[in-house]
Amino acid sequence: MKNFHVAIIGGGVVGSAIAWELSKYDIDVIVFEKGIDVCSGASKANSGVVHSGINSKPGSLKAKFCVQGNQMFQDLSDQLGFSLNWTGKYIIAKNESEIKELEKLKKIGEENKVPGLELYDGSKVKNNEPNVSCAKGLWVPTAGIILPYQFTIVLAENAAINNAKFLVETKVTHLEKKKNGFLIKTSNGSYNSKIIVNSTGLNCKDIVKMLEKPDFNVYPCRGEYLVLDKNYSSLIKSMVYPVPVKELGVLGVHITPTIEGNILLGPSAEFIDDPDDKRTTKDMMNNLLKEAKELIPALPDKAVINAYSGIRCKLASSDEGGWADYSIWESKENPGFINLVGIESPGLTAAPAIAKEIGNMISNRIKLKQKKDFKTRKIKKRFSEMSSEQQSNLIKKDEKWGRIVCRCEHVTEAEVVDALDNPLGACSLSSVKYRCRAGMGRCQGGFCTQHIVRIMEDKFDEDIKKIRLSSPKSNLFYCRNREETI
Amino acid sequence: MIEKEVDVAVIGGGPAGLSAAISAKNNGGKKILVLDRNSWLGGILPQCIHDGFGVEETGSSMTGPEYAEMYIYTAEKKDIDFMRETMVLELKRNREIIAVNKDGLYKIKAKSIVLAMGCREKTRWNIMIPGDRPSGIFTAGVAQAFINLYNIIPGKNVVVLGSGDVGLIMARRLKFEGANVLGVVEILPYASGLPRNVVQCLDDYDIPLYLNHTVTYIEGRDRLESVTIAQVDKNFEIITDTKKRLECDTLLLSLGLVPENELSKNAKIKIDNITGGPIVDQNYETSLPGVFVCGNCLQVYDTVDVLSIGAKHAGECAVESIKTKKIKESVIKVKPGRGLHYVVPQRINESGEVKFTMRVKKPKESIIIKINAGNKEVYSKKLRYVNPANMIEIDFDISDDLIKSKEDLEVTVDG
Amino acid sequence: MDKKQITCIVCPIGCKIIVKTDGEKINLIDGNKCKRGLDYVRSEALDPRRVLTTSVLVKNGEWPLVSVKTTKPVPKKKIFVVLEEIKDIKVSAPVKIGQRIIKNVAETNIDVVSTKSVKRK
Repeated sequence: MKNFHVAIIGGGVVGSAIAWELSKYDIDVIVFEKGIDVCSGASKANSGVVHSGINSKPGSLKAKFCVQGNQMFQDLSDQLGFSLNWTGKYIIAKNESEIKELEKLKKIGEENKVPGLELYDGSKVKNNEPNVSCAKGLWVPTAGIILPYQFTIVLAENAAINNAKFLVETKVTHLEKKKNGFLIKTSNGSYNSKIIVNSTGLNCKDIVKMLEKPDFNVYPCRGEYLVLDKNYSSLIKSMVYPVPVKELGVLGVHITPTIEGNILLGPSAEFIDDPDDKRTTKDMMNNLLKEAKELIPALPDKAVINAYSGIRCKLASSDEGGWADYSIWESKENPGFINLVGIESPGLTAAPAIAKEIGNMISNRIKLKQKKDFKTRKIKKRFSEMSSEQQSNLIKKDEKWGRIVCRCEHVTEAEVVDALDNPLGACSLSSVKYRCRAGMGRCQGGFCTQHIVRIMEDKFDEDIKKIRLSSPKSNLFYCRNREETI
Repeated sequence: MIEKEVDVAVIGGGPAGLSAAISAKNNGGKKILVLDRNSWLGGILPQCIHDGFGVEETGSSMTGPEYAEMYIYTAEKKDIDFMRETMVLELKRNREIIAVNKDGLYKIKAKSIVLAMGCREKTRWNIMIPGDRPSGIFTAGVAQAFINLYNIIPGKNVVVLGSGDVGLIMARRLKFEGANVLGVVEILPYASGLPRNVVQCLDDYDIPLYLNHTVTYIEGRDRLESVTIAQVDKNFEIITDTKKRLECDTLLLSLGLVPENELSKNAKIKIDNITGGPIVDQNYETSLPGVFVCGNCLQVYDTVDVLSIGAKHAGECAVESIKTKKIKESVIKVKPGRGLHYVVPQRINESGEVKFTMRVKKPKESIIIKINAGNKEVYSKKLRYVNPANMIEIDFDISDDLIKSKEDLEVTVDG
Repeated sequence: MDKKQITCIVCPIGCKIIVKTDGEKINLIDGNKCKRGLDYVRSEALDPRRVLTTSVLVKNGEWPLVSVKTTKPVPKKKIFVVLEEIKDIKVSAPVKIGQRIIKNVAETNIDVVSTKSVKRK
């Protein structure tokens, strides 16, 4: 099939949320994703926070979509089965001037209609969080945490089972305006679509350029993170953030618990030139640890099990203050060309609300009729979370449930096979990792990698030269040694 | 759940588990069960195709698979039960083991247990190497499994970080298979592996050894493209103008081993933070009565020969503990003193012969190892040369008087 | 007269020993801290040899490879010739541990044997 009603370029959390929203209607949707899987860019490299809206400028789109999105998350979690934990957040102040900032923040929050905000004394904060010392803390109950990759994947896979077509490892190379829509040339064939949704994140300007002259600039801003061992999960229950910082060179490090019991330190914020420069640096890693220890002195030194970075798509440079609102518009020059630009934090939270907005915009152009047979596929329970009875029953039905492939996270062969058999056609070690957690434990793939590779070879006829880690060209191996010549 | 009752359950079927199981059988244990997570027995040995195993024990130098076969054959002949491809999910404090395999979930009730889960490898993030996160970075053991078991070559231009034996062996292995091995990088001023391996893995093949160096940066958006190495000073700080970029597509990490004690920790067994293994008494019994530990799970060994001795002892004690329900109170603590990194066992609660195993903090020549009970010196031994990479064994007799005195023991390095 | 430096491998100290030889006889040994390494150093100076361990392809086996070794140390200068000959071999499963894979590899009068058993698939 080559003709679509809507073509979404970019399978991050925003593109996937839009795909899912549109898959509720009787229209043909296609999603082009240049990465090896959905959620390849900033969507997987963030804090996984469902923000309350307290950090957003009142009256901005950021504030509007964040608060709206926040209110949608519980229902979404109930419907799709992804993990969501309303941990709440403490923003803490160490001295008088910081307390004044807290009070300002509270006012902003109230203006944004963020519910339940309370200023607590240091002793009350310490009561709830014994490892945190402060003068005062602002308690934000409507802040929560999710696994951003789990959320994006469940949105995309649900869109796919409702006939949205996903093409991964597919790069859009050329756009052309046609009489009744657009011609889209990709590395995987040419397609036609009435409407294009540009949700490409950092590459948004490149896509706009394919049809018209962009009137904006993108300023990549890198955020580095450290992931701490689950052993320290009891250090904090809620998120702990310092008061937003004005000092140069100070990160204002956030401490965020994760759904799985790790602790995230970060992000840093560094304006860079190259939007693909996702390096982690020694300086930042040391700074993250140093500042985190100031917030929580009990934090241990040698607890890091992983580090990563994500690049924010900022529309304002460092000199300009680094803040700009979301820019979402339908092109006047090219009607039907919808652009979402500058979707940085709180993008994850805003995604479901933005998706509804895009749905509205599209309904002005195309009649959107609700599907009668809209399917929902909830996230399945993990073997490690099941009762012994459930586990035993599954093993009786299929012995693959009895073979544990990931020692650290107790993931079974059945779950790995299921992850590889996903409706998006994504097949890589990271596709497995993000769907069933194999490889995310403290041994970082020491035991499971050989078994996942074996499964990929046996069950999917994967040529070992084609086995990739996390991007289309990240091949794991060189060759099979001393090949048998037939 | 499928229920099973055994005398001794051994968690881990590598050399430690097999030695312990055979010893348990030899010492009168009836129902001995060994559980292993892989479809094969021998643990890590089947992929260690180089020789050098069993020299002290048997007089001949065997390869890993041969050494494993020797034990597997003996264990099978002795009517020891095995559960392969079986993962232990939980060790309960009442000595019930919850395990799973393709036949279902098991609850195994054991009169005593030997932990022999071995160890895992340190990863890049344990030393926080900055840079990109490409494919092509493997721990040495994982690369070894791919080459020797699955016939897969990870890459063509290789740098090895860490000069422990695994790293040296893998440098040679890759050279044998036609790879270009650019060098082995070691942060210390000396190689941490055996001189034999430096000679026979590096010198023989002109593979450079960069001592006093470390990897400071990893480059490669998709697949590894280069690593930057630099010299370090005596405080391990990088000397900036010594940075050198090595173009490569594979980085093998041989950064050291960490005893695998997730099951032990979840069962609230007390762990020694320095060894990474459980705190044990002279019988290798942990803080959980009836649960013993041996092998790399207890402390990282240098040779399988010494490991097997300890495992035999643990197996014997595991069976003894079923016969004699002695309630022992921890009487004497054994502490590492000046110059010593750690000592095992850390507790003594009865008189008799003990084999202490220990490691020093720094390499030294002409030293004396001393054991002091309070202020009194009770043992001393001259050693010509010691270094942290070589475990020291000391046989010592704990007298009744020493037990009565309740004086803690301190082991030191002097001279 | 040839002067070589040989690292003794008998104990962890790894003394660096200077050996003077005319190719057939040892004329001088210096730098050793004990007597144990002398035999090793003598043979290493005059006739260095190594046990080679590698793997061989297996057809129709449970595993694609079987690990092998030379039954005795082979002359150091023949290492790569021996490895080349081993690389071309393919054995059919089942393979028994200790099974001879190559007789008299690279004219060394030394055999290559398997160090593992591999069952048929």
